[in-house]
Amino acid sequence: MDGIRQICGKELARVFKDGKMLFSVFILPVVIMIVVMSLVSNMSQKAEQDVEKHVPVVYVENAPVEFEGFLGQTGIACEVRDVKDREKLRDQIRGGEADLWIEFPEHFAEAVGNYQKGDEIVQVKTHYNPSEEYSRAAFDTISTGALEMYRQTLLAERVDDMQKLTVFTVNSDNPDMIIQDDQKAGGKVLGTMLPYFVTILLFAGAMGIGTDMVAGEKERGTMASLLVSPIKRSSIVLGKVFALMIISGASSVVYVAAMVVFMPQMLGGASGEDLGISLTLSPRQIGMLALLLVAIAFLYSAIIVLVSVFAKTVKEASSYVTPMYMLVLVLGIMTMFTTDAPKSWFYMLPIYNTSIALQGILTQEVTAAQYGMTLGVTLALGAVLVGVIAKAFESEKMMAI
Amino acid sequence: MIEINNLTKIYKLNKKQMKESKTTNPLKTAVDDLSLRAVPGEIYGLLGPNGAGKTTTLRCISTIIRPTKGEIYVAGHEVQKEPEQVREKIGFLTGDIKLDPQFSVDYMFDFFGRLHHVPEEKLKARKEELFEYFGIKDFAHKKIKELSTGMGQKAAIAVCLVHDPDIVIFDEPTNGLDVVTARGVTDYLKKLRNEGKLVIISTHIMSEAEKICDRIGVIIDGQKVAEGRLEEILQETGAQDLEDAFFELYRERKGEAL
Repeated sequence: MDGIRQICGKELARVFKDGKMLFSVFILPVVIMIVVMSLVSNMSQKAEQDVEKHVPVVYVENAPVEFEGFLGQTGIACEVRDVKDREKLRDQIRGGEADLWIEFPEHFAEAVGNYQKGDEIVQVKTHYNPSEEYSRAAFDTISTGALEMYRQTLLAERVDDMQKLTVFTVNSDNPDMIIQDDQKAGGKVLGTMLPYFVTILLFAGAMGIGTDMVAGEKERGTMASLLVSPIKRSSIVLGKVFALMIISGASSVVYVAAMVVFMPQMLGGASGEDLGISLTLSPRQIGMLALLLVAIAFLYSAIIVLVSVFAKTVKEASSYVTPMYMLVLVLGIMTMFTTDAPKSWFYMLPIYNTSIALQGILTQEVTAAQYGMTLGVTLALGAVLVGVIAKAFESEKMMAI
Repeated sequence: MIEINNLTKIYKLNKKQMKESKTTNPLKTAVDDLSLRAVPGEIYGLLGPNGAGKTTTLRCISTIIRPTKGEIYVAGHEVQKEPEQVREKIGFLTGDIKLDPQFSVDYMFDFFGRLHHVPEEKLKARKEELFEYFGIKDFAHKKIKELSTGMGQKAAIAVCLVHDPDIVIFDEPTNGLDVVTARGVTDYLKKLRNEGKLVIISTHIMSEAEKICDRIGVIIDGQKVAEGRLEEILQETGAQDLEDAFFELYRERKGEAL
């Protein structure tokens, strides 16, 4: 036990006593994440505001006399122009200089005013460019918004009793429309994202350090000095795996805390409540999550150390670890798109079971047996891997000495 | 005491290694049926050319690699059966074993001291003694990566002796050291011997072997071809000095091809 503690202590000292390491493992990723996310949300907000500010240029053909006045009344700001050259207008829309083209048929007003039963219904055509933000916005507000209002207005002139045409409404006055367990709903939203984030954070946090811990020591020639110390190979392995667990666990706690604290900035002012991800966890849920996360950190650390044992250099180890990372990532993502309730035997599949169990804890759908199975499988696999690593440490070839 | 009985170490070569050594045989015998005994209070030198099997022998003694055949007893413990006990008794140093460049000499000394279960009080005393002897005090707080080669070697020697081992195994102890530092190291080895410790070194430097070794085992192609005190080897070969004696043995072994 003492050997494990010494090795673990040294590996932790390597990270926690080195300012540069602390910065690169804990602070830099958080800063990058916050800066990038804030930048992205700021820029998209700016783009939205810019579209809102823009006064759309709308070309109207054969406009009824009162149409421009009607547009003015609706409060939708736009610059209305007459169509002179249709081909040119088409190019302008394609090029983004004009935003919308509304094509009323000739004699629109007469056709509408003199409508008799059985007459053909007149059609108003609109043209826009969906790949231009301004044009798309103009289409939304004017073509689908203002024109519909104009239709209603004309309809009201034709029909005395508009109510008669409505027949019935759906949910026009029904505040109790949504019936759900808020806790469960919050869990669902968080549950789709959490396994994914946990995977990224726990695995990515451990990747760089883990490869350095074993392959790096081999590469630098420092591993042999440990191997001639009077401690068991398994103590060296466990010391390193535990240190890696602590580092990856600590880094993921830092990341998650930073995400929670800086969430408003990253989402450009929107709070968690706006997004429906506010969630209070019961002590039981927190306990289950914590225990499972420790088990996951143990398994991931064992995987990373195992892969590093087979590599001679850190570079080689990194290239071996990447596919493992991908695999873990894909299994994490899978839970985001699975809607069926997971079958019981899914909980026997290592790594994947942790994703569905994490989700299950948050949505309170996981049973004690399923949770126990997940925990057992994860810890057992981790232990087997540690055994394999210890065996590999015995091998002269693996240790390259 | 170190007792080696019929040690054989055969390496399996991979294709690349086979190509490098221009052979089609995937097995390479590094040490071939070697037996020797070294006792406390002596410096035993393994003398031989590069690739003779000196380092392999020392690594087998240190439990870093496993013998293919034969037994090695270190202070009564067999290396394959009780490797931890063997490692407890020895201090092993080679140029390939390095200290973690990220840590200070101080930290490394304490770390290995604790791994060897050295009590805190004794650890302090050992640090004082060894740092003083090797002149490490001035750079004890520096990280290993900031040290010069000589400083690094001194630090490595001090760290490997932290637990005051009864048996000290040095692979090419003065390799890469300047004359002054090399002298310091060999003097320290003599001091250890005088304190009743067993020191076993490997070297290809004849003068070094002549000066410091009490007994010498000459190894060529993994086999021991001569063993004894310097005078005994000179007498056996009829040579004037160790270098001549070595070439005499080498010629005998390799034929007239030399």
